[in-house]
Amino acid sequence: MENKNANKHQNPAKTRLIPVEFTELNWRFWSFVLILVLGIYLLGLFQGNVSDAVSKFGLTDPWYSPTVLVIPFVGLFRLTCYAYRKDYHRHLFDHPVACELNTRQDKLGRAYTGETRFFRVENFHRYFMYIAVAILPFFYYDFYVSLTYIPGSITLSIGGIIILVNTLAATIYTFSCHSIRHLVGGRMDCFSCTAAHKSGGKAYRFQSIFNTHHEALAWTSLAMFVFVDLYIRAVAAGIIPNLHMVL
Amino acid sequence: MKDVKLSIFRHDPEKEKEGKFVEYTIPYVEGMVVLDAVRYVEENIDTTLAVRWNCKAAHCGSCSAEINGKPSLMCKTRVETLGENVNVGPMKAYPLIKDLVTDVGANWKSIKRVPAFKPKEGLQEPWRMQQVDIERSKEFKRCIECFLCQDVCHVMREHYEETDYFGPRHMVRAASLDMHPLDDLDRARFLNEDAGIGYCNITKCCQETCPEHIRITDDAIIPEKERAVDIAYDPIARLIIGRKSKKRGN
Ligand code: SF4
Ligand code: SF4
Ligand code: FES
Repeated sequence: MENKNANKHQNPAKTRLIPVEFTELNWRFWSFVLILVLGIYLLGLFQGNVSDAVSKFGLTDPWYSPTVLVIPFVGLFRLTCYAYRKDYHRHLFDHPVACELNTRQDKLGRAYTGETRFFRVENFHRYFMYIAVAILPFFYYDFYVSLTYIPGSITLSIGGIIILVNTLAATIYTFSCHSIRHLVGGRMDCFSCTAAHKSGGKAYRFQSIFNTHHEALAWTSLAMFVFVDLYIRAVAAGIIPNLHMVL
Repeated sequence: MKDVKLSIFRHDPEKEKEGKFVEYTIPYVEGMVVLDAVRYVEENIDTTLAVRWNCKAAHCGSCSAEINGKPSLMCKTRVETLGENVNVGPMKAYPLIKDLVTDVGANWKSIKRVPAFKPKEGLQEPWRMQQVDIERSKEFKRCIECFLCQDVCHVMREHYEETDYFGPRHMVRAASLDMHPLDDLDRARFLNEDAGIGYCNITKCCQETCPEHIRITDDAIIPEKERAVDIAYDPIARLIIGRKSKKRGN
């Protein structure tokens, strides 16, 4: 076999410890960092305004809420998700800045290692998916609590409905994951060859319906997450009333 | 629309150091595609213009070019969708032969290196397979080897020198063999270790470009990456797969 690297150059980016993506002067990436820091700061301010509620219910502490507690896990799930990977590699790291070729000319000669070095962690997406699935029941539990928090009766509130919609969105998003697509059939070459897999790939085809919309689902569910969290914090702080019906 | 202003990249590497876009004005004909316009120039204005095409039906994959900054088939791009200024250049990911013609030969080397189809042992002739099983592999058979996906892929285009990625077309081909119900091989390890699948950061430009609408990233690259995860990153999957293949005796 011929030497595969015969006419190739060494890749200098391969020996760097910190991935080039994090050290380049790239306005997109650094503005994102800025927005993130600003967002966290604003969340801190939010607490200042609602300190009454904090002392009453302890619910709006920005650094200690159910969302904040699960963020590391669902965060890793989403950061290694194929949908978000596409988005941040493109729009934060500019690899490539656009498919449109005229826009890309200035990017020749940039260091690049793709998902071979630091970003290899993205290959552990499957494990983060298991954790994300394990967390899902707690969202349903949230909805259950929103129904039953007044003892002896069932309460239907806007907040509760929003929690339910958010939970459904998170569930559909999670189950549309590419790793799940692989597990439910993608890994098989033949759906009807072995007796054990006589399913004919039904699960695979059903999952693929959702998987096709994985990116849209990812962003819908993320936007909802933020909205629901802010909504609940605002309700807990008494900023907006939670319209409800006691049945 | 009456006339079309057509800028065509002209360069003869044997005679000139650098190429340039030359503008031609040609009469617009209802329903014309870019290839018609380019051939009008070739036949009526400058017969030295080099352009490669065969079928004019989006089937042979030879008329690939960059039209207004987008890799497209000349025979499948209608002029009226582009406005009055049409800019046609060769695929820049490949060495230029002349004008719009490039040398895509590097692909034949890659094709040879991907392990070929190997039928499972003990198959009874004639080979039989079910429609549900062949469906996935069939999607990839639509490929016309236009190499537009290779041209738009930023790894092939901007990082070819320092990476060993084969490119989306070859991931599609490997996937079509891998997912074939009667094929015995698993090419994920080869793709991961030799074909540089790790360099693809699933940004999907190839998928958006493919004139055959093959879902390159979703249906070929990501599933192959997941298979590579089984082999290289997921100890539990490795254990299970190891057990199963022991049971099957291979
Ligand atoms: S998805 Fe991968 S193969 Fe396709 S253009 Fe992007 S980097 Fe290249
Ligand atoms: S996969 Fe699509 S874009 Fe790539 S060579 Fe085949 S037909 Fe062309
Ligand atoms: S001429 Fe055959 S694909 Fe365009």
